[in-house]
Amino acid sequence: MSASAIAEPGRRAGGAAETLRRLARSPALRVIGRRLLSAIPVLWGVTFLSYFILNALPGDAASALLGINATPAEVRAFSIKLGLNEPVWVRYGHWLGSALTGNLGTSAASPQSVASILGQRLPVTLELVVYALIIAFVVAVPLGVLCARWPSGVVDKLTAALSIASLSIAPYVLALVLVILFAVDLSVFPAIGFTPLTQSLAGNLRSTTLPSIVLALPLIGFYARFLRGDLVQQMQSEDYIVTARAKGVSEWRVLTRHALRNSFIGILTVIGLNLATLVGVTVIIESIFSLPGIGYELLNAISNRNIPVVEGIVLVFGVIVVLANLATDLLYGVLDPRIRRVRSRS
Amino acid sequence: MSVPAANVLILPAQEVRVAGAASRRLRWLRSVEIWVPAAFLLAMLFFCFIWPLVYTVPSPVHGSLIDNNLPLWSKGHILGTDTVGDDVMARILYGGQVSFEVAAAVQAIGLVIGGALGLVAAYVGGWLDAVLMRILDVFIAFPSLVLVLAIADGLGPTEMHVIWALSAFSIPAFARVARAAALQLRDRPFVVAARLSGTKTWRILLQHLAPNMLPQLLTFTLLGAGLTMILEGGLDFLGYGIPPPTASWGNMIAAGQSFISVSPRFVFVPSIFLFVTTLALNLLGDGLRARWDAR
Amino acid sequence: MAGSPSGPGVSRGRTVAAAGLLGVDTTDAPLLEVSDLRVTFDSPLGRVHAVQGVSYAVEPGQTLAIIGESGSGKTVSAHAVMGLLPASAKVSGSIRFKGEQIVGLSEHQMRDYRGRCVAMVFQNVERSLNPTMRVGTQIAEAVRCHLAVDKNQAHERAVELMRMVRLPAPERRYFEYPHQLSGGMRQRVVIAIALACSPQVLIADEATTALDVTTQAQIMDLLLDLQQETGVALLMISHDLGLAATYAEDVMVMYAGQVVERAAATDLFASVRMPYTRALLDAIPRIELEPHVLLPVIGGRPPDLTTIPAGCPFAPRCHRVQQDCLAEAPPLRQHEPGRWWACWHPHQEEDAT
Repeated sequence: MSASAIAEPGRRAGGAAETLRRLARSPALRVIGRRLLSAIPVLWGVTFLSYFILNALPGDAASALLGINATPAEVRAFSIKLGLNEPVWVRYGHWLGSALTGNLGTSAASPQSVASILGQRLPVTLELVVYALIIAFVVAVPLGVLCARWPSGVVDKLTAALSIASLSIAPYVLALVLVILFAVDLSVFPAIGFTPLTQSLAGNLRSTTLPSIVLALPLIGFYARFLRGDLVQQMQSEDYIVTARAKGVSEWRVLTRHALRNSFIGILTVIGLNLATLVGVTVIIESIFSLPGIGYELLNAISNRNIPVVEGIVLVFGVIVVLANLATDLLYGVLDPRIRRVRSRS
Repeated sequence: MSVPAANVLILPAQEVRVAGAASRRLRWLRSVEIWVPAAFLLAMLFFCFIWPLVYTVPSPVHGSLIDNNLPLWSKGHILGTDTVGDDVMARILYGGQVSFEVAAAVQAIGLVIGGALGLVAAYVGGWLDAVLMRILDVFIAFPSLVLVLAIADGLGPTEMHVIWALSAFSIPAFARVARAAALQLRDRPFVVAARLSGTKTWRILLQHLAPNMLPQLLTFTLLGAGLTMILEGGLDFLGYGIPPPTASWGNMIAAGQSFISVSPRFVFVPSIFLFVTTLALNLLGDGLRARWDAR
Repeated sequence: MAGSPSGPGVSRGRTVAAAGLLGVDTTDAPLLEVSDLRVTFDSPLGRVHAVQGVSYAVEPGQTLAIIGESGSGKTVSAHAVMGLLPASAKVSGSIRFKGEQIVGLSEHQMRDYRGRCVAMVFQNVERSLNPTMRVGTQIAEAVRCHLAVDKNQAHERAVELMRMVRLPAPERRYFEYPHQLSGGMRQRVVIAIALACSPQVLIADEATTALDVTTQAQIMDLLLDLQQETGVALLMISHDLGLAATYAEDVMVMYAGQVVERAAATDLFASVRMPYTRALLDAIPRIELEPHVLLPVIGGRPPDLTTIPAGCPFAPRCHRVQQDCLAEAPPLRQHEPGRWWACWHPHQEEDAT
């Protein structure tokens, strides 16, 4: 990255006050700046790719939305209304132009703006993802630590078996099993549907718990195994672990205070990498549990060739992943002090 | 397990030999983790592809409505029949064909195209590598499921289209793995020696790099095959995959969903087959990877 | 993890009672006495005999150097004294601290002993501090392990220790991370950690190897100064004979898990007996040598520790080897007062250059 790009945040802040300039030189802001800059081609690629793929596929929004009973004249009129008569390059150009000014356009299926659709749907999906990550963490971290405390012990072997099983089970199968157990037989949770947070907190949690567990289970297996491996490796071969032991620190404390801190750095990378997959899986989960998230909306939009909505959702997915990776990078700095220096040097 | 204090012990590598009954038993145990899933998968392949040819398996479609909804272990229908009277065992076997074919084809496409991309990018480096990495970033930021759904929906539900749609997953994944593997190998002495002695680039790629990456990539293929089976079922499940009446595990699960509270076996029988097959693929992949890592 | 004793030859002494560890010296026994220490590992390649019967004793204020190449068992024996060997290691023989047996202690008892009775300074300056913790916190943690102090007192003690190891601006350094310090400063922090609970034995395992020569001398001087101040016994583990000659009173040379020569530093360098020690000395570059003269190196490689040869372990690489060397291993014997060696055909006085 060029030096001018890095200094950008400071210059934009204007005023040229010394404090602001110092802020601009802070490694954290440089990381943000560089990340955001490198995100631009990625986000552009994502929208470009999806626009042209959707366009290249047979069928279009006009005929998909009007159904098979529409006359060719009606379809033609609707196409013109949607602007489908123009070549795809022109349409993408229009879309990109207005997207850059913050206007994501209007849904082809309804007069609703894409932004307001996203505003309605996104919180549901985000809640699912965050809830699932919390469940995964709360279970996987103690599990991974227990496994690492006694490698090849009972807990370790059980966890290894369960984690490979959790990675082998299809999310839709797991969803059905959990629905039968907890919704049909025990009636603890509702089988489908969504209660907004604004209506009732308990109802909201009840409606999102099963889907979040389905999302979280493979993550639990994955994170616990990753954590276990990283911890065991550190406990066996890192010199600072030996130093800590030589002080007379207890094994538990060495594990939780010395090794675990370092393992979080690796865990963060893993989360950043599989966040896109996680968001992708919500499409299936939302459809099984009839949750009004963006995944559910996306399925409809794809089959209707509702390109503006698809583009909006894809862009949001991309932004989520980019922001998550940015957050990962910033947290690195908090967890690993070395990064601050390395980053500011390069 | 390695010797934790290995850094202070010098063990000449050329004098490696197997020692003690304990470690021999350990090796045997470890190979159980490989042989059990491998044997299961071979049996599955046999029953799905060869058994229907040599033995009269009931047709997976056009069953008699008179025989509908027979329970498990019925005479002539070992896993019963479904709501339209088709033999469930036959549908499992023919559905298994679909699962295995799709998994194999998607992995093969990923291995060849993705593997080649990753290999060339890593070896050539420079702008080519930079461009490929950017494109892979796009795929990371892009929920591949969107792409898969779009392709599957647009091209129409056939096995071939499902294969192409799912390759949108496997190609970038293989490209990443291959690139990482090739980067590790690129500066090894034998590659450098080949380069310095004027070996042609394509020859280095094919004769020196590819064979050394192959074990790692093949292991990855097994793990990817498990994921592909789950995804293929997911497409069927969402109605974007292979449509009924053609048998597939995914559409059997989806069809059974409506009857889940009255006869859960319509969901559970195909689910168990899907789960155990995926588990076997993952176990085998994991076992081989552990063995490969140990070297 | 503490190695568990097993096999024949385990001499289990009176286990250390908590009171004994509090420093109540109940016997006239040496401060630290190691006798017939043996350590083996079971590895996939066979049983590795890392340490094969090492004995020595140190008294307060004494400096003993243990010299050897990597794989000679010097670090393993030090880790045994610290009780830091992995669970897969089998330890036999005896290690006594003020007469009390350390081998076979429970992990809990071991923790009480580690850091308070015997402490260690490690080789790898780059990695022996936790990169994600402030250096002050790491010192304070060592303080709080054994002393009943609150956070503030631990902080004060840590700053005091940092001053003791001559770290400049300790109040500020307390809040810095290891990567912000130079190698020499980091090693001072490691020394401060080791001295946190005023141990009576300090093991310095290649403590200066990774440092440049100037820093090396500074750290060694610091260790000797601290020894003067606190009366701690110093066990110096190194591959560097020159360093040992400069700083240690007694020198013990190890090869292939065994002690091959032992003497006071001045005697040893005046007349080397064991051909291995001779070879080590000859391999040191000297300022008075002509430029471009090839340094003599020891041919061959250290022996495979999974098999114990019948003869002298150094025989395959020894230029004085004779038939009897291959037949039987020479035992370590006291041949002159204070001079021990294990060799059938030692160098004589007149051989010395």
